[in-house]
Amino acid sequence: MDIFLERLFDGVTNGAVYAIMAMALVVVFRGTGTINFAQGEMALFTTYVAWWLTVQGQPVWIAALVAAAVGFVLGAVTERTLIRPIRKRNDMASLIVALGLFTGFNALAGLIWNSESKNMPSLFPAGQDDFTTVGGARLYFDALGVWLVVIVLIGAVFFLFNRTRLGLNMRAVADNPESAALAGVPTGRILMLGWGLAGIIGSFAGVLIAPLSAHQLGLTTMFPILIYASAAALFGGLDSPVGAVVGGLAIGLLEAMITGYVGFVGGTLPQTAALVIIVFILLFKPTGLFGTRQMERL
Amino acid sequence: MSLLEVTGLTAGYGPARVLHGLDLRVEEGEVVVVLGANGAGKTTTMRALSGLIPHTGTVVFDGRSLDGLGPDAVVGRGVSLVPQGRGTFSHLTVLDNLRVGAALRRDKAGIREDVDRWCSVFPVLAERGGQEAGTLSGGEQQMLAVARALMSRPRLLLCDEPSLGLAPRIVSELFATLADVNRAEGTALLLVEQNADLALDLASRVYLLEVGRVVAEGEAARFREDESIRRAYLGL
Repeated sequence: MDIFLERLFDGVTNGAVYAIMAMALVVVFRGTGTINFAQGEMALFTTYVAWWLTVQGQPVWIAALVAAAVGFVLGAVTERTLIRPIRKRNDMASLIVALGLFTGFNALAGLIWNSESKNMPSLFPAGQDDFTTVGGARLYFDALGVWLVVIVLIGAVFFLFNRTRLGLNMRAVADNPESAALAGVPTGRILMLGWGLAGIIGSFAGVLIAPLSAHQLGLTTMFPILIYASAAALFGGLDSPVGAVVGGLAIGLLEAMITGYVGFVGGTLPQTAALVIIVFILLFKPTGLFGTRQMERL
Repeated sequence: MSLLEVTGLTAGYGPARVLHGLDLRVEEGEVVVVLGANGAGKTTTMRALSGLIPHTGTVVFDGRSLDGLGPDAVVGRGVSLVPQGRGTFSHLTVLDNLRVGAALRRDKAGIREDVDRWCSVFPVLAERGGQEAGTLSGGEQQMLAVARALMSRPRLLLCDEPSLGLAPRIVSELFATLADVNRAEGTALLLVEQNADLALDLASRVYLLEVGRVVAEGEAARFREDESIRRAYLGL
């Protein structure tokens, strides 16, 4: 029972991180209609920025907030300078640009901070004894902290979408860009802010997952997260923030249970399992659980 | 000086030119209708005027040029388009659709008042306020599209074939409302239509479009009554 609970906690923690990464993908997809494959590597870059700041002696919370600001700028500038000019001509082009950025950000991080793993400190107490016991299983405070941050972040995103004018405009642009423009919504600026928002969300995924990851912060830290998050976003529906949350948690739990209870899968196959899930969703329910739009452009 | 003055308007899609030097004007508070067969360039005219596609020639609204402006800037100047096919936000609620229509306004109280006002003009919008717009019937969506365009408080409302696909009873209801809005608010109307008879009742002046050019213009009354014009141009 306690081992089951521990796996459950692990699954929820990882799932929470996949959920916010998936939400970043959803925010971009709703506006732009493509999956930003560079989202994970943007987050990798901002996580390196956060790590570098902690090395300079900054508190880790300050570092995380600066990383979020950098994430916003990276996202917004990418949309404005690389995506917007090519998007109108060809949908495939934005996908290719995203793939280019994927390798670009990764290489840039390696170039600046070399390829050795870094020790990213946690935002929460993360010592051996920082846990509480629930039903005989250890629930570590840093896992609990991840849950809290994710809940706050999700709440903030839902507030933004459903209670603010900016969010209303974002939903309008996602629904029908031409009508939004005809109503006076500056669609270009809204898309840019959407990419910036995704950059912020992604940066939190990075600083939350790096301290939990077995290999700490390295150049490959975010790649599996992006795979899981893509699976989560597809599972929940690419244009549904609710779907991203549900999908993220589902994938996280699935991963923990499969590695825990299905012996032959072991430590490396869950990524393959995630890809298999992607293929099956695309085959049988292309709009995902909560989605309305299917992916047409891949 | 006219409210809207269009001179030598040309526009099209990529290399295909649809409008070949179109001239028209709309006076303050006037109702003008543009008639023409399929492919005459009616929709292209509306898309060019609202800034959705680029044009050459000059478009002057209220003494200022609209040339080179995008659709959001054109709305800001006081010209609002009800696009063909309505263009409602199908996954947004009816009320949210109306609120987006006020995207450029900063007067919160005024926006709320206008939402209430259009909900009382079109009671069906109030009834279905919390429903997603995509679940509305065609006629209801058309009313929503008109109300949304009016939320920006335009001085000139452009309507692209508002009668398309609607039952005759709904169309006359809609046209009656447009006439009311024109009278009560002084909003000028420029509509393009294939449904000549109803449009001629509403309008005071008419332009007839053929392959991207104005081939006839005049008082709506003359178009209504002159048998030879009706036969030659309207196929009635």
